Amino acid sequence: MINTIAYGLTIGGILYIISIGLSLTFGTMRIVNFAHGLIYTIGAYLLITTLPIFKNNFIIGALFTVLAVIPISYVIERFIIRKLYGVSIDYAIIATYAVVLIGIDLIKWIWGASPIPLSDPIGIDITLFSVTIPLYRLMIIVLSLIIFVTLTIFFKKTMIGKIVIAALEDKDAVRSLGINVDKYFSYVFIIGSCLAALGGVLYAPITSVHPYMGMMVLLISFAVVLVGGLGNIKGTFVSAFILGLVMAITGRFWGPAAETMVFIVMGIVLIFKPIEV
Amino acid sequence: MLSVENLNVSYGHAKVLHDVSLKVSNGEMVFIAGRNGAGKTTLLKTIAGFLKPDTGSVIFEDKKINGMLPEKVAHLGIRYVFQDKRVFSNLTVKENLEIAAYPVKENIKDAIDKVIGIYPKIEKFLNMRAGSLSGGQRQILLIGRALIGKPKLLLIDEPTEGLAAGTINDILNVLVKMKGNISLVIVEQNLSVVGMLADRVYMMKEGKILKEMTEKDEITNKENLEKYL
Repeated sequence: MINTIAYGLTIGGILYIISIGLSLTFGTMRIVNFAHGLIYTIGAYLLITTLPIFKNNFIIGALFTVLAVIPISYVIERFIIRKLYGVSIDYAIIATYAVVLIGIDLIKWIWGASPIPLSDPIGIDITLFSVTIPLYRLMIIVLSLIIFVTLTIFFKKTMIGKIVIAALEDKDAVRSLGINVDKYFSYVFIIGSCLAALGGVLYAPITSVHPYMGMMVLLISFAVVLVGGLGNIKGTFVSAFILGLVMAITGRFWGPAAETMVFIVMGIVLIFKPIEV
Repeated sequence: MLSVENLNVSYGHAKVLHDVSLKVSNGEMVFIAGRNGAGKTTLLKTIAGFLKPDTGSVIFEDKKINGMLPEKVAHLGIRYVFQDKRVFSNLTVKENLEIAAYPVKENIKDAIDKVIGIYPKIEKFLNMRAGSLSGGQRQILLIGRALIGKPKLLLIDEPTEGLAAGTINDILNVLVKMKGNISLVIVEQNLSVVGMLADRVYMMKEGKILKEMTEKDEITNKENLEKYL
């Protein structure tokens, strides 16, 4: 059971890293961004491509990948997302889904459709309470905690963070003070995309890398965001770990229901706490 | 300073403002009064850049500003204070002021001093969450926030709406301190407040300006104002 919980916390950590960007984009721009899943997939593919170049140094490969998605996410934000501000949410779904479909085809064209396995970059197991857990998974949990603390400090202490928090509540009031809110939303979008790519990088050694890997994780991330609250940094953190545990524990007893259970939990939460858009 | 000429504004196919014209001089306190749905807020939002007029023009310091983005309008020196006391409730009072000071590059200490100048009690609340302030304190914070960066014209929407009599006095004191130092366009339904402070009054009904008043006798006569509601 401890192994299952450790796995659940690992999934929770990755879900948090992926979902926080989605939550902020959803919360600030009111845009359902399917392209977030594509960035996650691109992150994983960039890692497996660059690892041989960096002599299999996972950290340098991960850093390179996170930086490499900045121009990609900038292009998506500047030429697609920005045109969807204030437009009906349906258009955002269709437009960003189209980006995903184009992106998946490009991935298949460049890397092929076959799943590519990636081995554990640390390859060391540690024993905790007489249970053996891969160190890599513990590192993911610690990293997600570090990201949570860093983002919390960023949004509390920096002017960009405060403007985003204010705009989450009242975008027009921020604009009335002479602040170009869209510029700050772009920053949020790029930070979120970098984290999505990092999620792809971290999950690649746990699963296999394939063109559709972003689709399922995106739907689960939406569940995390809806349960945690749009733009709610702390809520997304708690929700990611709870749903990660739900997936792992359900999967232990009945594998096929692991992901379904996430959406059942989401449905129950939405009954008692409807979303405010 | 501000001249609105033959402004027509619609929400979709519904026309809300019909050939509205008004003017505001330097240091003048102009009130727009009228019942709900008269188009007062629509007029302020159009001046502030949140709505685009169908026809007509908004001219500020000899520059046509219709269709300009709200943030650009703010940089020209026009600040819009929304109705409903919309502070950034998850941030502290001080952080609310910091955000206002940031785009105009005003020192936060100077910004805080400016707000303390119009409402000394706010010093006690600086580190409190803005969401925990009372309605009156929120309104004063919003006015203070809008004053940061030496704006030339303030557009204030319903500053006394939903406030108790004692709190309205606090707002009145703040407005009195500002009178003559800055141009103001205030949407207000409380005709006693209008009569006390206005230099010029526009009475609105069904999207039109029914009457412009500049004579003190006309403005201070509440019954006269009520005729146009």
